[in-house]
Amino acid sequence: MATRLSRWLKPALYGGMILCLAGGLSSHVFGQTQSNSPKKYEINLLPPGGPTPRLPDGHPDFSGHWFPNGAGQGVSGRFGVDPAATRQFDPKVTPEERPAFQQWALEKIKSMTPTELELSKSSVNCMPRGLPAIWLQNPYTTYIMHKPGVMAQLYEVLNNWRLIHLDGRPLPKNPEPFFHGNSAARWDGDTLVVESIGFDDRTYVQPNGWFHSDQLRVTERYTRPSMNYLIVEIMVEDPKVLQKPWKSAPRRWTLGNGEMYEFYCTNNLELVELEKLRQQELKDPKK
Amino acid sequence: MTTRRLFRAIAVAGGLTLVPSVASAHHSFAAEWDSTKCREFTGTLKKLDWQNPHPYFFVDVKEPGGKVEEWSFQAYSPVTLRRNGTDRQVFLDNINKEVWIRGCLSKTGKAHAAAAGTLKFADGVLRQVGQLQD
Repeated sequence: MATRLSRWLKPALYGGMILCLAGGLSSHVFGQTQSNSPKKYEINLLPPGGPTPRLPDGHPDFSGHWFPNGAGQGVSGRFGVDPAATRQFDPKVTPEERPAFQQWALEKIKSMTPTELELSKSSVNCMPRGLPAIWLQNPYTTYIMHKPGVMAQLYEVLNNWRLIHLDGRPLPKNPEPFFHGNSAARWDGDTLVVESIGFDDRTYVQPNGWFHSDQLRVTERYTRPSMNYLIVEIMVEDPKVLQKPWKSAPRRWTLGNGEMYEFYCTNNLELVELEKLRQQELKDPKK
Repeated sequence: MTTRRLFRAIAVAGGLTLVPSVASAHHSFAAEWDSTKCREFTGTLKKLDWQNPHPYFFVDVKEPGGKVEEWSFQAYSPVTLRRNGTDRQVFLDNINKEVWIRGCLSKTGKAHAAAAGTLKFADGVLRQVGQLQD
């Protein structure tokens, strides 16, 4: 441990001295700027912005290019990002409860091997994430086009899309199973509440093996408290799989200006390699 | 001081301000790649296959004995690379030029295949192009 520590501390000390010298030099050469403390990060939390934009009918307008972080821009693989800007919520402030699985469901999830778990992830197998995963496990952007009668959600990942009709239509009695379910929406003050049923059974709620039954019912609650923030809260009801409904933390998406890109999954070599590992697991389950 | 140690020194001294942001953990790196088998590669960038979900770039790597072998490297998705400043054109501008990569080998033992974590083109800029593994 001592060796390991010294391996880190020595370069830290050298590097720290270099930074201190550089900081001192720059303040002499360029003078003090706005603050006595140097700017800590290059990419920071996007401020709330102006007031909530509204549609002609007075309801909040959720239109915008939304990033799944606090920065309003891409943060993956970038240097100097405030950790607070990389996440959608602070678990210390709004902790997210763990799902309470029925015993049989928990055993089914636990029986998955690491490779089976990996292969089940839509980020790996290129299946649509579906609802509610598109709001819970999506590192790419979502473009919302919102009019009084309809909200179109364009998902960058896999070029998926979804229309939510805002004309008061009820949920279908015999829903066809869709990846994004069948939705009915209503306003609760400035909150848009969307309930959905009828889901394709190949989707997972979260990329941890959390599967669902034909009883899955998802409630989304959308708010836009200011120009730059979109808050999405998810409730999952699934009495066959869960002992009680699960609620997400209020997850913040932030408004960005950048381009949205094409994302057709056309060259998925990972499946080939993971299938080889799966075959190895079947031959030797102990590994 | 090796490149790796230099990077560590800068990262530790600067605290989080200089550490690249971690990609959303939607992939489990450990499921497919072996974080105990990571190494540095130096060679010539020869080819780019820019597709989703991951681009692959191909490098003629100079092994210690002088032998040159073609390796393929998996990177982040094209969208992520565009947003962090290492877009397709950056790769194309560096074809037939030297590149340094730190990456990890496949768990399946697939020959000459690795997941790239960081790289440097001829301009010397350290770029994160995949999940950091070690």
